[in-house]
Amino acid sequence: MTPINPLTLFLAAIFTNNILLTNFLGLCPFLSISRERKSAMGMGAAVVFVMASTTVLNNWIYYKILLPFGLEHFRYIVFIVVIAAFVQLVEMTVERFFPALYFVLGIFLPLITVNCAIFGASLFMVIRGYDLVQSIAYGAGSGIGWWLAIMVVSAIREKLQKSATLPKGLEGPAITLIITGLLSLAFLAFSGMIRVQ
Amino acid sequence: MIKQLRSVVYMFLISLFFASLVSAVMFLNEKKIASNQALKLQRIILKVLDIAAEKNTADDQISRLFMERVKDIRVGDRILYVGYKEDGHTILGYAFPVGGPGFWGPIQGMVGVDPDATKVLGIAFYKHTETPGLGGRITEDWFSSQFNGLRLFPIEGDQKIFYLKPAGTTGAPNELDAITGATNTSSAVETFLNDELDYFLKELWTTVEERE
Amino acid sequence: MPNLPSKKEIFLTGLWKDNPVLRQVLGICSTLAVTNLMVNTLVMDAGLIFTVCLSSLTVSLLRKYTPMRIRMMVQTLIIASYVIIVDILIKAHMPDISEALGPYVALIITNCIIMGRCEAFARNNPPLASFLDGLGMSLGYSLVLIAIAFIREPLGFGTLLGIRVMPENFVQWTIMIMAPGAFFTLGILAWITKYFLPNAKNSEERT
Repeated sequence: MTPINPLTLFLAAIFTNNILLTNFLGLCPFLSISRERKSAMGMGAAVVFVMASTTVLNNWIYYKILLPFGLEHFRYIVFIVVIAAFVQLVEMTVERFFPALYFVLGIFLPLITVNCAIFGASLFMVIRGYDLVQSIAYGAGSGIGWWLAIMVVSAIREKLQKSATLPKGLEGPAITLIITGLLSLAFLAFSGMIRVQ
Repeated sequence: MIKQLRSVVYMFLISLFFASLVSAVMFLNEKKIASNQALKLQRIILKVLDIAAEKNTADDQISRLFMERVKDIRVGDRILYVGYKEDGHTILGYAFPVGGPGFWGPIQGMVGVDPDATKVLGIAFYKHTETPGLGGRITEDWFSSQFNGLRLFPIEGDQKIFYLKPAGTTGAPNELDAITGATNTSSAVETFLNDELDYFLKELWTTVEERE
Repeated sequence: MPNLPSKKEIFLTGLWKDNPVLRQVLGICSTLAVTNLMVNTLVMDAGLIFTVCLSSLTVSLLRKYTPMRIRMMVQTLIIASYVIIVDILIKAHMPDISEALGPYVALIITNCIIMGRCEAFARNNPPLASFLDGLGMSLGYSLVLIAIAFIREPLGFGTLLGIRVMPENFVQWTIMIMAPGAFFTLGILAWITKYFLPNAKNSEERT
C-alpha cells in the first residue's frame, strides 16, 4: 500500500495527474459533450459521483472478495460490470425519486458507462495499491479534475463559437483537441506544485 | 417473468462460457508468465552484480549462472542476493531489491553493491507504471549505468547520496542526468532511491557484516 | 431491408470514409497514450484488431439469441474476455512490451470503437460482414495511430522503432512525447481530414 496522504492525492488527481489531461482518459464523451457549458456541467457532476463511488466499491470488492479467492485476473470484467450495474441503479433511482434531476442528468448516465476514465480510475487504484480512503480521494479528485477540464474547454468553445470564425476544417474535433492540448500544456505548470508521493 | 428468467439464464451461460475460456488461456500460460518473472529477476540480479551483462544470453544459461553464482539470504525484511566470483567462494558483491513510489505508481528496482558496500556495482529498474517513453525510460541502460561506481555513504543531514539534475547541468560525480520531460518520475526516483540506499547502509548492512 | 453494401465496401469504409478515429472521433484515449513510440503502437494495434474482429464476430453469431435488455452487458462481457486473453498472451510471450503498455491493454475494453461497432453493426448483421466491418475499422484505427507515431517518435526521440532516423545534432522536440504534443498532432490530423473530406456524417448510410 502506498503511504500517500489522501488530501495530497485528491489535489494531485485534479491538477498534476489530471486523468484527462495527463492520462488521456475519458476523451470520447469529452469531445462530444464539451460543446456547451450546460451539458458539460451535467456530465461532469454525474462523472464525479460515479467515479468516486465505483472506485471505492471496486476497491472493497478487489481486496475483500477477488484477492482472497484468487480471482484477480477477472477484475477487468468485475469492475466493468460493477460500473454498468451502478450506473443502471443510479439511473433508476434518480428517475423514480428525483425526476427533476433526471431531466437534467438522465441522458448522460448511459454514456458514463463507456467513459474509459471511470474504468481507468479503478484500474489505477489497483495498480497503485490504494486503500479505501485513498480510493475515495483519488476517485473524487479524478472526477473533479475531469469536470474541471471539460468546463474550461466548453467555456472556451462557447466563446469561440460566438466571437470567432474558424477555418472550415477546424470545427468540431480538431479545434477541441487543440484547445485541450493547450490546456494540458497549461496544467503542466502545476507539476512542481504538489509532491504526489 | 419468463423473459427475465431467460435473461438471467442466458447471462449465466455466457458468463460461464467466457469465464472458462479466460481461465483456460490463463492456465495454459501461467507457467510461462511465472517463469518469465523468475527469469527476469535472475537476469536483473546478474546484471547489477555485473556477472552476465549481455542481453541475448539464453534463458537456460541465465538459470545456470544464477544457480552457480548467486545465493540468497534473508536479512531483516528483505531478501539479499550474494554474488560469488567464478571460484565459487569469494564474494563479488550483494544485490538487494529496492522500491518506492514513482509518479504514476510503485517502482521496483535492484541495486548491486561491492563486497564492502562502499560503491554501487549497478542498478536496474524492473517494475514500474510510469509513462511509456518518458518516466518509463528509467529502465534504459543510459540511465541506470550512470549509477555504476556511485560512492555510497550513510546520509547525515540534508546531503544525499546522489542527485538527479536536468541533463547538461551536472557537475559533481554524484550528480546524474535526470530524464528530460519526466521531471516527476526523476524526482520520485531521487527521493526513494536515496532513502532505500540509506536504509540498506544503516539497517541491513550491519546484519550482513556480522554474518560474514 | 435496404440494400446491404458489398463486403468490400463494408471493409473499405472503416479505412477512410468512416474512419473511427478521424471521422467518428472514437478510440481517442489510446490513440494519444501509446503513439509516442512506434513499437507500442504496433502492439496496441494488433491487440485492438484481434479484439474488435473477434468481438464483432461473436456478437453477430449470438445476435439472434441475446435478449434485448441485457445486450450491452453481454457485449461488455465478450469484449472484456477477449481483452483479458490478449493481455495474458502479451504478458506470456512479450513481457517487456507488456510492461511498457501497462494499463492501456486493459483499457481496450473501454475503447469506444469496439462497443460502437457491436452496437451499430454486429448486432444487426451476419457474421462475415461483421467480421469485415470490425477488420476495416480496426485497420483504419491502426493506420491513424501509425501515422501519428510516425510523427511523434522521430520528432520527440529522433528514432523510429528504436532506430535512429534523425541527424545526430537534432534537438528533440520533447513536447511531442508528452501529452500536449499528442493532442496537437491528432488535432492537426483531424483538421487535415476534415478539410479534404468535409461531409461529416457517413455513418447513417451504412447501417
